[in-house]
Amino acid sequence: MDPARLLGPAEIDVLAQLGVATVLLGGIYALIAVGLTLIFGIMRVVNFAHGEFLMLGMYLAFWAFTLWSLDPYFVLVVSVPVFLLVGLASYALIMRGVIHASHNVQIFTTVGLSTALQNVALVLWTGDYRVVRPWHSFVVLRVGGIAFNLSQVVAFVIALALTIMLFAFMKWTHTGRVMRATAQDREAATLMGIDTDLVYRLTWAIGIACVGAAGVLVAPLYSVYPTAGLQFVLLSYVVVVLGGLGDMVGALLGSLIVAAVEVAGSYYFGTAWKEVLYFVLFIAVLVFRPAGLFGQRGAETLGA
Amino acid sequence: MPCRLLASTAVALVLALTGLLAVGHGQSLTGEYKVGVLEPLTGPLASEGKRHLEGYEIVRDMINERGGVMGKKLVFAVADAPDPTAAATEANRLITREGVKIITGTFSSRLCGAASEAAARHNVIYWETSCVDPRFNKRGLKNVFRTEIDATGFGWYNIEFIAKHLAPRFNLRPNQLKIAFLSEDSSYGQGVTEAARQRAKGEFGMQELGAEYYSFTAINDFTPIIVKFKQLNPDIVHHIGYTNDAPLFWRQAREQNFLFKALVHAGATGYGSPDFGKALGSDANGVFALLEPGPGFRMEALRPEGQKLEREFREAVQKKTGSYPLGGHQLAGGGLWVLKLVLDRAKSDDIEKFRSAVMSLDMPVGSSINGWGVKFAENGQNANERVQHYMLQWQGGQLVTVWPEEFSTLRAKWIPLGSWDQRK
Repeated sequence: MDPARLLGPAEIDVLAQLGVATVLLGGIYALIAVGLTLIFGIMRVVNFAHGEFLMLGMYLAFWAFTLWSLDPYFVLVVSVPVFLLVGLASYALIMRGVIHASHNVQIFTTVGLSTALQNVALVLWTGDYRVVRPWHSFVVLRVGGIAFNLSQVVAFVIALALTIMLFAFMKWTHTGRVMRATAQDREAATLMGIDTDLVYRLTWAIGIACVGAAGVLVAPLYSVYPTAGLQFVLLSYVVVVLGGLGDMVGALLGSLIVAAVEVAGSYYFGTAWKEVLYFVLFIAVLVFRPAGLFGQRGAETLGA
Repeated sequence: MPCRLLASTAVALVLALTGLLAVGHGQSLTGEYKVGVLEPLTGPLASEGKRHLEGYEIVRDMINERGGVMGKKLVFAVADAPDPTAAATEANRLITREGVKIITGTFSSRLCGAASEAAARHNVIYWETSCVDPRFNKRGLKNVFRTEIDATGFGWYNIEFIAKHLAPRFNLRPNQLKIAFLSEDSSYGQGVTEAARQRAKGEFGMQELGAEYYSFTAINDFTPIIVKFKQLNPDIVHHIGYTNDAPLFWRQAREQNFLFKALVHAGATGYGSPDFGKALGSDANGVFALLEPGPGFRMEALRPEGQKLEREFREAVQKKTGSYPLGGHQLAGGGLWVLKLVLDRAKSDDIEKFRSAVMSLDMPVGSSINGWGVKFAENGQNANERVQHYMLQWQGGQLVTVWPEEFSTLRAKWIPLGSWDQRK
């Protein structure tokens, strides 16, 4: 292609818009993936019901908006304690019993939980596609030829803040250190007097609270329906593997990479290719860098 | 004990009363004729399945008021088919336990294949009223019939509308039109889109700028496609969308200020679903969706017998559901009425006699419910040209009938679509 054409103002606008789309989409993926990577990294549990907790967060935003006209940003504040409780309850009722069981048992349990939650939503709220349309979901910011959706910008900023907060929490607080110690060696941690059951309970609850909040934030952008979680959950596994298990910053970078592959793939090769592309990337990472692009070598076997 | 006695007396009383009512309804009817009805009544398709069943029940009552089928009262054995496995097992159960010789259903393209295979194994008639999978009639089965057009028929109608209605209103010849195709990649989306692409290019010489397929379960962002389409600058976007992706595309097209002259869709999902209007309010204005007739439908354009039937059907739906007939009611109801016509003619459910009755039916457009006519091909498919479909447009939060113009009191607006804030 002629270089003058490549760098014409129209092409620069296109590249800028694709860049913005990547960052904003990456923000949404990061929002969903941080909770998953936390649970994955510390408990060594692949939570297949992660998407369904996201769906519950979306329904919370929907009902609060429909019944009481509450803005999702207000609901976001409420959703954190609500989903901490949901997390504590689901841990006590379900995860506690399988936390020391084999990976297979844990997988079956969370897959079962996923299907059960989808069907509970179906029975309670029917299969209708619902929408949450607060004022900010209509606001479009324009800079030059580039458009940003306000709800998406907010979701990205919160994703960034959440990642930094979780990262700081894990790195510099006592609880965070205890959680990391448990992840590294459960038996040694127990010998040091750490209550690992408490650590797991806390990890699960924080992970669920993160994804619940993510659900509230994405509700204004996507339709709300019982299987809405499936739309994102497969991607978040890719993100978590790319970023390295339990690595918050890795999850953020992984999200941006997946979004970039998706956006560039859709634009240059066609949308039909996007899943092929990021799953090829996913497999390549598993083969060549099983600990993730940013993970520490050997991390995947820690605490096993 | 008295409690149980009371209960059984009540049950007996109810039974006696319904029996009396039934007798009172169709005095001339001797005995019952049972048809199996297979619909997804639980699971993700439940709301559609229930609407279909409602349509069947409404037309069943109309049929019984008019002398039933083959002199007998038409009754249903209803079965729930939430997924293909259940569709097959329930079809078997209806045949072996309930002894039905005809099964009808099933709303979804996921279900009709499995259910009709099961029926074929027992040499039972399978009467499909709504699934649109193009493969349904291409398996060489002698027992399957479909009253609704298939997905390729939807593509046929969309191009008909674009070439014969939109092009003149843009002051363009069909071969000057530039179309971008976008579609979800299920058998439905692909079937419609491939048929539309072929007809657009082959018959009208329209210019195809691009064709993009995506999976509706995995699409989270349309920005790259919209950016690409914006550079191609199409006159028409032909988008077959599903329920979550259609509002997403429309919202993002508005954000990106993507301008084109018209968007055309087909079917009851995506832009054709009431959810689309709920999601976008007046921002939905201007979108076209090919469907069964909606508000604005001019019944006077039907033939006299069709008019009478259509009026009665609409009143019955209104009475039972309190609403205008929805797509599910129309497909199931319209299809069941054609089954009655066939049975009246065949006077038998013997597959050979039934089949020759189906093939001999020849009714022009406007004869029956939905303004449909009947002319089946040897493969058991009713003809595109006879199963009249209508173009509806979102206007002020409602889908209204705008084409063919002889069938509607309302007219298409916003042609070509103006800027995004001028579609009120």
